[in-house]
Amino acid sequence: MHIRAVQNDFVGEVTGIDICKPLTGDDVAAIERGMDEHAVLTFPDQPLTDEQQVAFTENFGELEITLAGQMAKPEERRFQQLVLGDISNFNGADTTRLRARDDKRRMYALANRLWHSDASFRAVGAGYTLLHARIVPGKGADTQFADMRAAYDALSEAAKNEAENLICEHSIVFSREQIGFGDYNPGHEEHLKPVPHRLVITHPKTGRKSLYLSSHIGGIVGWPIPEARAFIRDLTEHATQPQFVYSHKWRVGDMVMWDNRTVMHRATRFDDLKEVRDLRRTSLKGVGLAVKQAMAAE
Amino acid sequence: MMVLSIRPLTESRFAGEVSGIDLTRPLSPDQVAAIDEAMDQFGVLVFHDQHFDDASQLAFSRNFGELEVSSGAEMSKAQDRRLPQMEMADISNLDAEGRLRAASDRMRLTALGNRLWHSDASFRAVPAKYSLLSARTVPGTGGNTEFADMRAAYDALDDKTKTEIEDLVTEHSNAYSREQIGFMKADYGVENQLKLKPVRHRLVRYDPRTGRRSLYLSAHIGAIVGWPVPEARMLIRDLIEHATQRRFVHAHVWRQWDLVIWDNRTTMHRARRYNDLTDVRDMRRTTIRGDGVTVAQIQEAA
Repeated sequence: MHIRAVQNDFVGEVTGIDICKPLTGDDVAAIERGMDEHAVLTFPDQPLTDEQQVAFTENFGELEITLAGQMAKPEERRFQQLVLGDISNFNGADTTRLRARDDKRRMYALANRLWHSDASFRAVGAGYTLLHARIVPGKGADTQFADMRAAYDALSEAAKNEAENLICEHSIVFSREQIGFGDYNPGHEEHLKPVPHRLVITHPKTGRKSLYLSSHIGGIVGWPIPEARAFIRDLTEHATQPQFVYSHKWRVGDMVMWDNRTVMHRATRFDDLKEVRDLRRTSLKGVGLAVKQAMAAE
Repeated sequence: MMVLSIRPLTESRFAGEVSGIDLTRPLSPDQVAAIDEAMDQFGVLVFHDQHFDDASQLAFSRNFGELEVSSGAEMSKAQDRRLPQMEMADISNLDAEGRLRAASDRMRLTALGNRLWHSDASFRAVPAKYSLLSARTVPGTGGNTEFADMRAAYDALDDKTKTEIEDLVTEHSNAYSREQIGFMKADYGVENQLKLKPVRHRLVRYDPRTGRRSLYLSAHIGAIVGWPVPEARMLIRDLIEHATQRRFVHAHVWRQWDLVIWDNRTTMHRARRYNDLTDVRDMRRTTIRGDGVTVAQIQEAA
């Protein structure tokens, strides 16, 4: 297995390993080291099946279920297995049709074009997310990643001190409301409640600090809401400057894996009413931060 | 016609610094014409050491057209206003008694919306032409105003995008910009709800005087006619991100007695953060009304 740095210590490309097959303990440890050293790893030419993607993901921890799947009615879902995220523009299980322009699921998914950290709306946010490309459109639809460690390091001392002990409130409602979406199926009020997270988090393994930013943030504990939101917008703008960002151009068979504790990401536009884009997502619970986050909440 | 002495502050002729003219004295028609001409070319003009009071700023501003009533003044009660003239917008962190506004002050929170990229009064059916901002007291650090060149941003779009957006019509309301930072429409009070009714504008404006097109973007946009709202807002966000890349932006660092004029038809701007709970920032803005609507307004939907 070989990791080639694509963008300094932020993104690495992994070759010389077949991740469709069961991995050895050494392979898993080497990938984890690579994830700590970088924050995004790409694995080109990996023709994974759903089962193989789930098996590969299980090497690194406990799988997270997707909120979109959890809140959807069974007939709205493409996959009944809730650990498998459907990142496509198909009309649910009917893969002969694309979602219509005003489809509720399409509206919900458009908010993935805002910079976010996966599942930051859960009490324990996601650790790694793994995204695998099955069908990619001709143009557009890059996924962009921003390095929250480098963004933290680049803050002035005064800004670091100001951010250090702030607690942010995250909810899926806050990101969707920014683009005017609020049409949730009833019975999911629990999933929509804000959860607290520290703004500055320390990676459990590397000890590096990073900004835990996300479009799911809607408030800062103790701050007036408009002031909190203007502040988070400024920080997000700082953290997503071109020098912190990597744009991934998808090829079929690409597997990209990132650490949500150190990376924000977003989808970009493509002609989703005409072209197919079919990616599968698996993600892991962000173990390691749980204790610190619980302390943050007190 | 007289020629102004202008030093470009940006690589392209977007922001310029004008010297050798005292704007507080009555101007000749030639001088007014020269400033108009320079505004067509630049978009943002900076004049240092202009010792305006409110009366001289109002008089100078009237050279360029009819003045707008400040939306902040129009939506607040007389006893809450610091400045008596309705045409003088109070861009400060002071209350009617001249004291710093408290952290939770409603006027402070709505003013935070100025930290989003916007074009002044784009929420009016006849939107603003120039804004003129005079710096009376500036804070120790922070509080810059940044300007983005909407003509250069338009020119830099690819042809496919230009074609896609050419005839789009957007809906603007002050409530849309404030809602983005969690200041809700209801917080404006019942008496102001009618003023928040969205108005329509073309997304791409064409200026027959200069022959140039510009992106008419603003945080006040909340919808595109005929588009699902989330899709509209994502397109507008993407366009604003494009249009406010560093290469299109000039940051103005204020000195006391600076007067900056910008053209809201060809620029966006935003305020930057400063220690507004401890430092005074007192700026006064006059705004020139534009020539007309950018697109026909719609009567109440049938």
